[in-house]
Amino acid sequence: MIDVTRLDGTQITINAELIETVEEVPDTVIKLTTGKKIIVKESRQKVKSLVKLYKWQIFQDYINPEDE
Amino acid sequence: MDLATLIGLGAALGLMVFGIAQGEEGILSIKAFWDPASVLITFGGAFMAMLATSPDIPGFLGSLKTFKLTLKKVDVDEESTIKNIINLSNVARKEGLLALEEAANSIEDEFLKKGLLLIVDGTDPELVRSIMETELMCIESRHKDGIGFWEALGAAGPAWGMIGTLIGLINMLGNLSDINSVGPNMAVALVTTFYGSLLANWICTPVASKLKANNAAEIAMKEVTVEGLLSIQAGENPRVIEEKLKSFLSPDKRASMLDSQGGEE
Repeated sequence: MIDVTRLDGTQITINAELIETVEEVPDTVIKLTTGKKIIVKESRQKVKSLVKLYKWQIFQDYINPEDE
Repeated sequence: MDLATLIGLGAALGLMVFGIAQGEEGILSIKAFWDPASVLITFGGAFMAMLATSPDIPGFLGSLKTFKLTLKKVDVDEESTIKNIINLSNVARKEGLLALEEAANSIEDEFLKKGLLLIVDGTDPELVRSIMETELMCIESRHKDGIGFWEALGAAGPAWGMIGTLIGLINMLGNLSDINSVGPNMAVALVTTFYGSLLANWICTPVASKLKANNAAEIAMKEVTVEGLLSIQAGENPRVIEEKLKSFLSPDKRASMLDSQGGEE
């Protein structure tokens, strides 16, 4: 799940697994597999890095479990 | 000024009077069609019964005022609405949705302006659709109230005319002994039905139908506007939006839009 910012400034967390496409028109439109479209301030590349970061963080928690 | 309404109503009355005047007595035969008592029973009864159905007196007067709407020409300019939306989509495509705020200030259409400001505020597309559709429903329901009033009046007219006829017949049958008065009294009885039918078919039915047609045109145009706005918000390609909106028009209107665009470029 990644944190993105809507056009009016509010933060929203969306399910990264549901992202189908990210388009810049020129505002970034994230289209989900549900058909819903969300317009966000972050750029296309930034959205991509956010997803990678999120998955890396999960992996980090896996190889370095905190309860050790 | 809606000439169709004016000429239609005026000519209908004129032709009817002309037809009446074709009789032996010429224009004087109109006298047979004028009876103050009948006017009171039919028109007075019908309108006052409608007053009883209205929620309050201002409401009743307001419903009567909707007659003025038939005289006003409904300016449903589909071409300019669609052109507006296409221009806005080009602006959004080049400069982003927030640039629409400035463009929204120069828009005269209140409905379109409202939708634009919702988009610029970053409202969720589903919420935008829901708000615009609720407004559409309210507009339609207000129109339906006016239409319903004229339809009800159109039903009340002949009904009260019938009441007048019954009154006349009751009086007439009470005086059957005087054979000479039977004819004229019967004529007076029928005049009320004439007034009732006149009220319904000359005024009420045409007004109700015209209001219905105007309503349909306005709602159709506003639905096109909503589709256009949501497409802009979704960031669709302006050419795609143009094709989408043009499919709402009839083929000859589509062609005339193409012509005017060809002329500009």
